[in-house]
Amino acid sequence: MKTLLKTVVLSSVLALGVGIAVPAAAQDDSIYIPNLAYRTGPFAATGTPLMNGQRDYITLLNERDGGLNGVKLQYDECETGYNTEKGVECYEKTKARAVVTQPWSTGITLQVLPKSNVDKIPILAPGYGFSPMSDGKVFQWAYNPPSSYWDGASMILKHISDGNLDSLNGKKIALLHLDHPYGKEPIPLLEALAEKHGFTLLPIPVGLTEMQNQSAQWLQIRRERPDFVIMWGWGAMNAGAVTEAVKTKYPMNQFLGIWWSGHDGDLKLVGDAGKGYRSISWSVPNSETPLMQDIKKHVVDAGKSQISQAEGEFDSVFYQRGLMISIILVEGIKAAQEHFDVRAPNPDQLRWGLENIKLDEARLKELGAEGMLVPFSTSCADHTGHGGGWMLEWDGAKFVKASDILMPDRADIEPLEMEKAKEYAAANAPWPINEECKM
Amino acid sequence: MFYRTAGQFKTSYQADHALFPVRQDAILLAVILVFAFAVFPLTASEFTFRALLIPVLIYSLAALGLNILTGYAGQLSLGTGAFMGVGAYACYKLISIFPEMNIVVAIALSGFFSATVGVIFGLPSLRIKGFYLAIATLAAQFFLVWLFQKWSWLYNYNASGAIQVPNINLFGVTVAGPRASAIVQYYFVLSVVCVMTVFAINITRGRIGRMWKAVRDMDIAAELVGINLMRTKLMAFFVSSYVVGIAGALFVFLWRGAAEANLFDIPLSFRVLFIAIIGGLGSVLGNFLGAILIVALPVIISAVPRALGLPLDAATVEHLNIMIIGALIITFLIVEPHGLARFWAMIREKLILWPFPH
Repeated sequence: MKTLLKTVVLSSVLALGVGIAVPAAAQDDSIYIPNLAYRTGPFAATGTPLMNGQRDYITLLNERDGGLNGVKLQYDECETGYNTEKGVECYEKTKARAVVTQPWSTGITLQVLPKSNVDKIPILAPGYGFSPMSDGKVFQWAYNPPSSYWDGASMILKHISDGNLDSLNGKKIALLHLDHPYGKEPIPLLEALAEKHGFTLLPIPVGLTEMQNQSAQWLQIRRERPDFVIMWGWGAMNAGAVTEAVKTKYPMNQFLGIWWSGHDGDLKLVGDAGKGYRSISWSVPNSETPLMQDIKKHVVDAGKSQISQAEGEFDSVFYQRGLMISIILVEGIKAAQEHFDVRAPNPDQLRWGLENIKLDEARLKELGAEGMLVPFSTSCADHTGHGGGWMLEWDGAKFVKASDILMPDRADIEPLEMEKAKEYAAANAPWPINEECKM
Repeated sequence: MFYRTAGQFKTSYQADHALFPVRQDAILLAVILVFAFAVFPLTASEFTFRALLIPVLIYSLAALGLNILTGYAGQLSLGTGAFMGVGAYACYKLISIFPEMNIVVAIALSGFFSATVGVIFGLPSLRIKGFYLAIATLAAQFFLVWLFQKWSWLYNYNASGAIQVPNINLFGVTVAGPRASAIVQYYFVLSVVCVMTVFAINITRGRIGRMWKAVRDMDIAAELVGINLMRTKLMAFFVSSYVVGIAGALFVFLWRGAAEANLFDIPLSFRVLFIAIIGGLGSVLGNFLGAILIVALPVIISAVPRALGLPLDAATVEHLNIMIIGALIITFLIVEPHGLARFWAMIREKLILWPFPH
């Protein structure tokens, strides 16, 4: 009998143990915004300023305005270390209360994307993720504003060819990319464009283990002498590539990167030697705008930020881009609040909100962020907005704007997006398509 | 108290060699199985299934496969991750070529692909031993991951180079893919792991297992008593890679849902090797204990500060987590170098003698 009692007690303790991870009950008057952040691991250097930016904008709203339309925003991080396994764990942990998933890695996005139709939580992946997510009819729950990777590739090509892609005929363009779903994203589009416009595309993969030592890849670049090197790098790979390029004396004005390859910290390592390196970007840092002054006053000087001021993180591209990412999300929440007349929208209402973001120049000015983000708007058919981007150039000490707003050649991209979206839906059948969307 | 062996007499050799020489062992196992099959599914949340129970089972199975090779047959291998990858990609190709195929059959067949690959990379074991063999299997690791990246036929020419699990039904219930519910996947994984564990226990306790142990302890002596070294070693590679391949297929199809080649790189091999070593080489139970320590404990620890209401941010918790797990691994290995399974065996001995010290 005694033994039986002990067994029962032991069993209940064990059963309780399994149950501990059940998330705390949702709070009524706040909006829970989890972020699958990575401040640890090999990508921490690039991740941390972005996460700080996202966090600080939410803090600003809570501190300055008392939340969004009077509702507090509850920002919460779940650490993934850019590891897909941890990412899925975080997704499961937060999904009960979350109104949105910010997966923060193309790998994690690919894992949670198929679940979005089942769990019905919108995925917000600003400037990353799967380019065909732009097709909002197929990917009802996924958003990648304001520009997709394919948009980025198209803009880079347009910039280096001065708007006429046919002038690239006969040239050789190397794509130095991370050998990971993220790095492979632009390949289908670049291949199609290479065929159409007669340039040679040379994909050079960099494995996750060789990010810091790219001598083999740069030896290949030196041998092949491409006219341009386009980089799709992240984390430690960017710094590795830039230092290698300096070492092999590759002309910096022929070396361009996607927006994630435009991190101040990476270029600071080489300083003046990196002058002329360009990176496409849908956000531009500008510490003088009213928004940045407010952030400084209410968040940074109030000691509520985690940024390291000694390293000039406040002025960096990535920190201010993090702010822009939160602006996009908050605009979505606000649209949902106003349309449905609720204080805390649920994931389904936020889905509508994210489809109806209207961040035009007037609105950006109202937010005090004029010129910091490309103006764009989303719709039920277009989950990206395709706002284009600017070319940023490294002047030896910081990134400066080096072009007017560039627009992608949507005519080249759209058919490919449709095709890949359709393929994805077919591979994941049954996959619901948004029939109500008549755009 | 719990382990009172008084009155349990063995009157035949058969009884002496039984799987459970002490009745309480059988009762304990029964209790664990009741928990696994009935109590956990009733109490667990979806998070618990997806982040704790299913991964622990799958990692245990992978470690079990490695343990057959390293713990029982004494052949050190660093290629486990890649062999898991072979299982996963084989299953993916089988399902995409024959969409009508039963998922159980596909998983069972995919084990044979990894077993074949395992035997090929096991060939050097006939001439080299120990660390040298580990280097040879490391070659398998590099080569296979490279192959997963370069051979686009393997991932159906997908642009991102990743494989995605479609929705798969088994007898009208969705067991794999985004629409599958966690509890179904848990039962599926649990059943497969139970079957494989019974298989592993039987094979390691029987004639084949003894041949492996003889080779592990001294291969020249084993050869002298008439054991065919080549067949024994290759059989160990075959059986081990088969189990590992199944674990790989489950890993992607029943848990992750999508995978890219990098997933099967060395960190995965090391993780499985750590589970096997910390759990205890040459034991079946150890794999489960090791997987609980390496896979489940970090998840539980990271939930503690929040449950207690401590205001720590996520990155700090993660750093603390890494430190705590590292300290625990070192502590356990100092306290008992032969792993958690041996640790449990000592506790059990003490319990049998209890309350007498000797």
